[in-house]
Amino acid sequence: MLRVNVLNQSIETSYPLRTLYFYLTEGCNLACRHCWIAPRFQDEKHQYGYLDYQLFEKIITEAKPLGLTGVKLTGGEPLMHPRIDEIVDHIREQELALTVETNGVLCTPELAHKMAACQSASVSVSLDGVDAKTHEWVRGVKGSFEAALQGIRHLVQAGLKPQIIMSIMRINVDQVEPMVRLAEELGCGSVKFNLIQPTERGERIYEADQGLTIEEYIDLGKFVENELSGRTQIKLYYDHPMAFRPLSRLFGAEGDGCSRCGILGVLGVLYDGSYALCGIGTSVPEMIFGRAGEDPLDTVWRENRVLNELREGLPQNLKGVCSDCLMKNICLGSCVAQNYYRTKNILAGFWFCEQAHQLNQFNYSRQKSSVKTDREDSNEVGETEIA
Amino acid sequence: MTSDTNNKPMANPLIVLREEFDDWAILFDPDTGDASAINPVSVFIYKHLDGKHTVPDIVAKLRKECEDVPENAEAEVQEFIQQLLDKGYAGYEKQF
Repeated sequence: MLRVNVLNQSIETSYPLRTLYFYLTEGCNLACRHCWIAPRFQDEKHQYGYLDYQLFEKIITEAKPLGLTGVKLTGGEPLMHPRIDEIVDHIREQELALTVETNGVLCTPELAHKMAACQSASVSVSLDGVDAKTHEWVRGVKGSFEAALQGIRHLVQAGLKPQIIMSIMRINVDQVEPMVRLAEELGCGSVKFNLIQPTERGERIYEADQGLTIEEYIDLGKFVENELSGRTQIKLYYDHPMAFRPLSRLFGAEGDGCSRCGILGVLGVLYDGSYALCGIGTSVPEMIFGRAGEDPLDTVWRENRVLNELREGLPQNLKGVCSDCLMKNICLGSCVAQNYYRTKNILAGFWFCEQAHQLNQFNYSRQKSSVKTDREDSNEVGETEIA
Repeated sequence: MTSDTNNKPMANPLIVLREEFDDWAILFDPDTGDASAINPVSVFIYKHLDGKHTVPDIVAKLRKECEDVPENAEAEVQEFIQQLLDKGYAGYEKQF
């Protein structure tokens, strides 16, 4: 289709609170090596906190007048919440879109049907290997592979097309294509490949040389976007920054669309009722903005200093390589929580792009300031002057 | 400004067209960083906005170079050029 696909969508000025991310539980039933939230491991002997159900309802009630249209349930592990059935029912009754990120282990047929009954239900299940040995090396719990597969089957039987999320590291990098085949076999709708974020346990992955190098991630991204995606009917998402994504995959007929990062319409709620930027609040106290039940959500949403700094600063005050990127108006710095974690500056450049830039691996054509050099050497970079 | 079949639109020389490996391209204003993405057919059209070609000329070239050009191509090209005009990516040479 002939169309000018604008990469500078207008900034909203009213800032509705579109989506709440609920980090429902303090603990998790798995012990993943790369988790960026690093919840405590919960088993029969060790029990941890979870979000009070009444507080959950109260937060939803306060959020709806602010523009709430959807809820993401994540963790810890959201399906561990003792009242998860009622939480999902309430989301359905309130006609909110439901997104769930789970390890799948506790996904029963009944719960799968409840989730499927919600508006625009979207469920992602983490699977980090196509065999028990690999998956459980990452996830730390024996039996979690088969349990995750069973959970996926329940979701499919309930009529959902779950997404598999695979976090790519050294141990499973050779299982990218096999994971797509497994997803097809299971009846999944898509596979998302995540890069390991160097946050919390993710930092230790890199320290132990268990992550990929930037060059390896870039090469793998090209393979997934340009080759593998053409060899499957299911959607593949490779979670590298917008600057590395082919335009045809963003805007083409088979593309997945391209819309502005939703960070300016999102707020996190932690298991203890704290309002936070997102799950980063569990490890960075200054990213906690108030407490549900004590602080009115309306006040937190409208007056919090960090949220207002983001509203005023994104994208024009982004620093580093992001300041020079032609995709910054839709990418918005990729992950501001990670950027703050790394630098203590919420508007810092994204680590992946910064490192790629230092290694001369940044996507050259997406850098504004490369214009001058391009004009001097236009044949090499495919830049055209119309005259 | 509106496009017309007899006019000969010109690409704004201050706008940069940067083609990528998949033949898509980014158009951007180097002063402001305002950017847009266009597909390979749009790139073909944009490259012919040289003040010498009318929309029918461009469509004729398109039919010669590309397969499966739709019947209503002229209207689509006209609409695309209008989008470029609206964004300031193209214009018309002033006649004195």
